[in-house]
Amino acid sequence: MTIIKSEVLPLFTDDDLVKVRQAVRAWMIEQEFSLVTQTKMVTASSELGRNMVVYGGGGCARLECLNDFDRRGIRVIFEDQGPGIADISQALTDGFTTGDGLGLGLGLGGAKRLVNDFEIWSEPGHGTRVTITMWK
Amino acid sequence: MHEDIEQLKDKFCITATDTELVRQAGTLLADFMPEFIEKWYAWLKQQEEFSLFFGSNSSNLKRVQEQQSIHWQSFFVAHINDNYIKERRHIGEVHARIGLPNDIYFAGMSIASQLLSDELWNIKPMPANIGAIANALTKHLFLDSYLVIDEIARIQNLRLSESHKAMMEMSTPVTPIWEGILLLPLLGILDSSRTQEIMNKSLSKISEERTKVFILDISGVASVDTAVANQLIKITKATQLMGCSAIISGISPAIARTIVELGVNIGEIKTTSTLRDAFEIALKLINVTVS
Repeated sequence: MTIIKSEVLPLFTDDDLVKVRQAVRAWMIEQEFSLVTQTKMVTASSELGRNMVVYGGGGCARLECLNDFDRRGIRVIFEDQGPGIADISQALTDGFTTGDGLGLGLGLGGAKRLVNDFEIWSEPGHGTRVTITMWK
Repeated sequence: MHEDIEQLKDKFCITATDTELVRQAGTLLADFMPEFIEKWYAWLKQQEEFSLFFGSNSSNLKRVQEQQSIHWQSFFVAHINDNYIKERRHIGEVHARIGLPNDIYFAGMSIASQLLSDELWNIKPMPANIGAIANALTKHLFLDSYLVIDEIARIQNLRLSESHKAMMEMSTPVTPIWEGILLLPLLGILDSSRTQEIMNKSLSKISEERTKVFILDISGVASVDTAVANQLIKITKATQLMGCSAIISGISPAIARTIVELGVNIGEIKTTSTLRDAFEIALKLINVTVS
């Protein structure tokens, strides 16, 4: 698998989140993903990005365009140095939220359902890294 | 705008000695000042900005030259107090108003600094503390330009936040489309500050217009994540509390599929795929038949 191109975007504010969403959308369009797939990926990125801004203290999003033999993919890696997640499986459960009810507590689990590949790494006190990939 | 003058001086490492030295420079350069203004304007006349900002208006030029001469006098008096700061900020305000580019301002300050220090080093007999004088002069010049530029930046930020506010208001066009029916078409990206604005405007409009049906059209919204969905649900719940039915229209196939996979439960909110369907439902709700 090769990475054709990549770009790192800062993710600290709502405005940064808008730029990340726009970039993900633009990359998906460039690779000719269908409208539904685009929307799913953009929405998943929006969920994870918002989590990072609100709970993770901000970080960065790394966009990658992948070439894997016969298929193309878009991968987005969200990484922060925030408080981390103590119980990942609990965080992936629908309805789980530590916040003040900003979202619906469907963020992580919802994002996982929207994409093809979903990987999460987190260590309390060190940060969280979530990788999502959409294949075509 | 109030500033802590001592803190400001501290930041620019301006000591009482520096201020004394600048005053000394003022005495040494007093005879040179008319020539300085003349030379400085000779430089400015060669810049393309000159004709842009002064044109052929010679009375304007004369006024500005007088102002400048007063400015340098107060610079060499070097009383850094509220009045001094006010004067500098006023220059910034004027520059912001006429839209003077920063490059010409800084180039001008650089030329001024060069002219002054060239003259200073040519004074015969050379004062023993010439190096210290030149240093003090530089510090004061930097403080002076900082105040001007900071005011320009402050005004620009103010303008930006004003236009942002105006845009927010324009981007929530709540319109009565029929007696008792209110339409709000949403476009682009929904963030928390925008949804807050939408909530406020819609609710006050609903009570003003005694609205019976509120249609929220999201066909122009690119993506609905859980935070946005949550806000939409809150808005419709609040409208329902006010005795007004809410319909969310313009749910595209892509958004419908995304919402389902996210697992968002929209409950009893009425939704339609097109605005036309929503309008038909709204008309039925207020018992109007259109033939």
